[in-house]
Amino acid sequence: MSVTSPAIGEWTSQLRRGVLELCILQLLKRSASYGYEIVTMLESLGPLAAGENTVYPLLRRLKTEGLLETFMQESPAGPPRQYYRLTSDGRRRLTTLEKEWDAMVSAVERARRTGAGS
Amino acid sequence: MTDAHPLIERYLTRLDAGLKDLPAAERSEVLGEIRNHIAEAAASGKPIDAVLSSLGSADDLARGYAIELLLNPPPAGQPAERRTGRFLKLAGLIAVGSLPTFIVVVVLGSIGVSFTAAGIVVFLAGILAAFGALPNYVTMDTAPWVAVLIGPAVAILGALALVLLVWYVKFTARLVRRVVPRLAPAGASR
Repeated sequence: MSVTSPAIGEWTSQLRRGVLELCILQLLKRSASYGYEIVTMLESLGPLAAGENTVYPLLRRLKTEGLLETFMQESPAGPPRQYYRLTSDGRRRLTTLEKEWDAMVSAVERARRTGAGS
Repeated sequence: MTDAHPLIERYLTRLDAGLKDLPAAERSEVLGEIRNHIAEAAASGKPIDAVLSSLGSADDLARGYAIELLLNPPPAGQPAERRTGRFLKLAGLIAVGSLPTFIVVVVLGSIGVSFTAAGIVVFLAGILAAFGALPNYVTMDTAPWVAVLIGPAVAILGALALVLLVWYVKFTARLVRRVVPRLAPAGASR
């Protein structure tokens, strides 16, 4: 387990929640995808792994917010899949979030260097 | 097809029941999506009970949906009536969450409604009494100005309880939302 204390667990889960939205938008930037694939891709990202009971409701919310849209597509086996893709609003949101993220990461890096240098 | 598995059907029925506050179209899309997830996961060789336990309980999943969607309604301008309806659903959701939240919502809700209504009635009665329109067995020898003063005070108390209720529901909803992701990693992070 990477979680060592309740305080760190809480901090990590809040951080993950915000980053998760960014990652879902990023995963869908290149091509559309469906729920199971999105969950599996997030799982392979290690610390970002979020349970299905977080990811599926989040996908619906991003759709209600108009950032994602869905369409049905046949699957080689089994029932047709519901695919998600970015809307133009979704693309705009992704650009904004990426900028915010970069700004945040570089601020953390600067703080670290300052701390290490003194 | 693995779809006919009784465990899956039970899970989906339970989820469907938990989603009853969502619009019908939304609900059937959600059910289709989760059914699909189970089918895909099973097709990849995972045992059914592992797939279901990794999804978490149907009630938790339904609550996750309800909270995400009630807190983030479609952006289109909605009439006030629908916003009130949404708030009441959210209040209901929080009330059934646990015993303490149930008590807070019920107490604040009943104080809010009854005090506000009683305050208005007393105020109106005071005005009527001032014009001598009420018989003595109603006023019970109380001077009309007493009722006219007490009425608004009681109504303000009631309104205050309602404001507190709204604040509490919003606060708890935000709290619940923050906790929901923490339920997840237990199954997924190893």
